[in-house]
Amino acid sequence: MTTISERAVSRRNRVDWWRWAGRLFLVLVLGFTVMPMIWMIITSLKTGFAAMQYPPQWWPASPTLENYTRLLDPSGRIGQDFLHYFWNSLWVSTITTVLAVVVAVPAAYAFSRFRFPGRNFLFFAVLLRNMFPAVVFLVPLFILMKALGLVNTHGSLILTYLTFGLPLAIWLLKGFYDNIPIQLEQAARIDGATRFQAFIFVVMPLSTPGIIATSIYSFIGAWNEYIYAYTFLTKQSQMTLPVGIQRFFSENATDWPGLMAATFIMSVPVVVLFLVLQKYFVQALTEGAVKH
Amino acid sequence: MAEVVLQHVMKTYGNIYAVNDVSFTVNDGEFVALVGPSGCGKTTTLNLIAGLLPMSGGDISIGDRVVNDLDPKDRDIAMVFQNYALYPNKTVFQNLAFPLKMRKLPKDQIEQKVQSAAKLLDITHLLERKPRELSGGQQQRVALGRALVRDPAVFLMDEPLSNLDAKLRVQMRSEIKRFHHNLNATIVYVTHDQLEAVTMANKMAVMNGGLLLQYDTPANVFANPVNTFVASFVGSPAMSLIPLEGHTSADGASLHSPEGWSLPLSLMNGRKVAASTTNQIVLGARHSTLKLHKSQVPGSVPGKVYTVEPTGDVTFAQVFINGAVVNISVEPSVLLSPDEIVFIEFDQERIHLFDGATTMALQAA
Repeated sequence: MTTISERAVSRRNRVDWWRWAGRLFLVLVLGFTVMPMIWMIITSLKTGFAAMQYPPQWWPASPTLENYTRLLDPSGRIGQDFLHYFWNSLWVSTITTVLAVVVAVPAAYAFSRFRFPGRNFLFFAVLLRNMFPAVVFLVPLFILMKALGLVNTHGSLILTYLTFGLPLAIWLLKGFYDNIPIQLEQAARIDGATRFQAFIFVVMPLSTPGIIATSIYSFIGAWNEYIYAYTFLTKQSQMTLPVGIQRFFSENATDWPGLMAATFIMSVPVVVLFLVLQKYFVQALTEGAVKH
Repeated sequence: MAEVVLQHVMKTYGNIYAVNDVSFTVNDGEFVALVGPSGCGKTTTLNLIAGLLPMSGGDISIGDRVVNDLDPKDRDIAMVFQNYALYPNKTVFQNLAFPLKMRKLPKDQIEQKVQSAAKLLDITHLLERKPRELSGGQQQRVALGRALVRDPAVFLMDEPLSNLDAKLRVQMRSEIKRFHHNLNATIVYVTHDQLEAVTMANKMAVMNGGLLLQYDTPANVFANPVNTFVASFVGSPAMSLIPLEGHTSADGASLHSPEGWSLPLSLMNGRKVAASTTNQIVLGARHSTLKLHKSQVPGSVPGKVYTVEPTGDVTFAQVFINGAVVNISVEPSVLLSPDEIVFIEFDQERIHLFDGATTMALQAA
């Protein structure tokens, strides 16, 4: 009896050791990802002078929200510019997301449910764009946009971001549709729905998590994009946030607290999006639909 | 309720015949089981009746309408799926209400119909739950409820019991049978389990390789299988088939074994062998028609015991006769040991003779 229980204890200890090693690793990774963000927030609360001090102030001696009020003040010049960039980014990202979902949902559904000639070829061809680094297309796309007369319009960015976002959106959504048993649609069609109604009433609600995940993915992609926005747009009134924020560097001395405050504000929509919609990521909606 | 008529129904994929010239009639109020092994075309046939697949040829009518080109929703059918296909994001009530809602019934009628269907199936207490909160048997009942709530002309069921555990399956089997009796419903029921077909259906359609082999009452299919496939598919344990050589002479007909023995045949069986175009004859016999003797009796043939399976009520022995495994049921009091030599007596009235080349049952001339 004693040997058995001793062995059980030693086994449990070994398991514990691994568990603690795992926790330590997670803490290190957490610190690695969170530290820059904390530093960003702390710096954004400092005055311009305090931010340049060495050794650095770990905690701002006189914390101030002045950087934020300056950025968000519509009457000041900086505030006007910043809010304008913010609005541009929001507009471009939202339209990109809406278009991506509108195109990707029927495309993914077709790839998942219909058998047509060239289906596999097309499905992999969709990914072709993503096999090359984004920069490779910078010049060709610029020439194309110029020919289309889209340079210095938000349309050029929306089109470009769609070419990034759509392939993965289609792939992601096809996975979701593949996991929705076809019998659900068949049942709906027998229960009195047309094929389209079956899609709207049965398939769409079940693929909501997929659509939301896809939306967030394409929104963030468009929201953070820098190189194309920098190349395609030269008018200050059209610049998006990543390019606009860069203007904080370009003065004689970089305004670190202002830059950090702007960066923080830029990250807010993405974080809010995640917090509000994360439950849809984890919600396993199809559970209980069919017996496996 | 209505009758269902299939005439020369075809479904091809390229040059593969999934359903090959299948014709049968399901009378009003009849329970028909489509039965066969995996890939035999039974589920495809059901999907053709439902309109979920386009036909390659033939006609299907439900009631007095030809439904060939009608959408599933316009065929006045209901279907129960093997995986139940309950809408996971809807409650049980909403699941039952969906077919009525799609047909734009007024709210109070929906409420009333759902309540009466729920009462019939004893799921009233589950109406507010989501499908994932139900047990397998309860999900099965909800699926049945969603089918019957609309009072369709025909019920189609695609292996509705095969996801249940053995005990529940037996229970639901009698419930579906009772359901058929109470509603006087026309049911087309797909199963790979011949026992379900035999126990539940008025008629069974045995399919293999896209072909409809036999369509008759379970008793007739059991008693007069048309070929060796049907013979070995229907019945448990399966009918034993022994390939032998047929001989006819002035004294009568007999079956010969290369092992050296021969089995004289009755007059009727002799005429069947005489009418055969080949001398390769397959002798078929069900376990219950065979008598096992420990010593030789007239008309018995020798065999060697392979395994013995006592089940309590009855003991099944597997005996090698002429290289074929033959199932025999004996009293539990009979003690047998492997490799023992035993003697088997056939009941001439109840043996089956098949053409060894075409596998078809032999007919007397």
